[in-house]
Amino acid sequence: MNLQRLWQMSYDSKVIDVLRNSHHAIPYIQSVHLLGIALLLGSMVILNFRLLGIGLTAIRIEVIAKQVWSWGTVGLVMAVASGFFVFLPDPARYAANTSFLVKMVTLLVAVLFQYTIYRRAVKAKVAAHSEQKEVLLPLVSLFLWFGVGWMGRAIAFLG
Amino acid sequence: MMSILEICHYLQNTEWATAIRQADFAFPLIEGTHIIALSLSVGLILMLDLRLLRLAFQSEPVSRVMHQVMPWALPGFGIMFLTGLLLFFAQAESVYNNSYFRIKLLMLLLLGINAAVYQYKFYPHMAEWDTTTVPTGPRIVAVVSLVLWMAVIVAGRLTAYEL
Repeated sequence: MNLQRLWQMSYDSKVIDVLRNSHHAIPYIQSVHLLGIALLLGSMVILNFRLLGIGLTAIRIEVIAKQVWSWGTVGLVMAVASGFFVFLPDPARYAANTSFLVKMVTLLVAVLFQYTIYRRAVKAKVAAHSEQKEVLLPLVSLFLWFGVGWMGRAIAFLG
Repeated sequence: MMSILEICHYLQNTEWATAIRQADFAFPLIEGTHIIALSLSVGLILMLDLRLLRLAFQSEPVSRVMHQVMPWALPGFGIMFLTGLLLFFAQAESVYNNSYFRIKLLMLLLLGINAAVYQYKFYPHMAEWDTTTVPTGPRIVAVVSLVLWMAVIVAGRLTAYEL
């Protein structure tokens, strides 16, 4: 089965049809999307501000990293899962939207960066009991995640 | 004496409210800031609520989490409030007539009362449960806060959807 057929199947399915034609389904799903974003970006702010040494300095990096990793991932899963249900009822509109495509690429880069390079660096830091401030790592992470957020906003007004 | 609707009409037609409404990027930029500041305001307040419910930062005293998170959550709320005010001014009349917006304001009022209950009733005795089991009272405050903030997000999204 190719991807085209998969999209068509999802487009034709009952669930997606109900979502597409319901007056309020999409904004409710988008609310879950926003709650996920609040959790994910909030977690990223906490961890990155801690690494930059500008916030939550009374709590150990190890503790923050552990908490933020679980709750940030919960937020990411909420945002991605709800995002699918915003996308599926109207895939052609999003596929033709440059901001959406840029958002997806930025999201992919952000996830890859966060869960590989970044994660390894924080693990090494915790293992070494290092309290040294980081600059590049948290700034890149903040730039990527907030970039994803702004590109999401741009879908509606830039196209 | 002007009615609220007349005040909204006046606000919406001031030069700067018209400018926000008509400029190409002012409105989406303010709206974007309003949404993204959710991470600082609601995102951080959620962490404190989760701590009160022992779902996050269990190893840290409640007071520490509160004092570490609030210096960022409060300016975050300030950004929400300011950008929200500008968004309101730009389309005051239709927002005033929007029932979801009224529900949102009611939720925010209830959140204010909820925060005041925490601040005046439970916060003074925090030392007694700071590092042990959180009593039912503050835990109810945390659940109410979580539920109401979710409702504020839903009502806010629906407000924009119905404009």
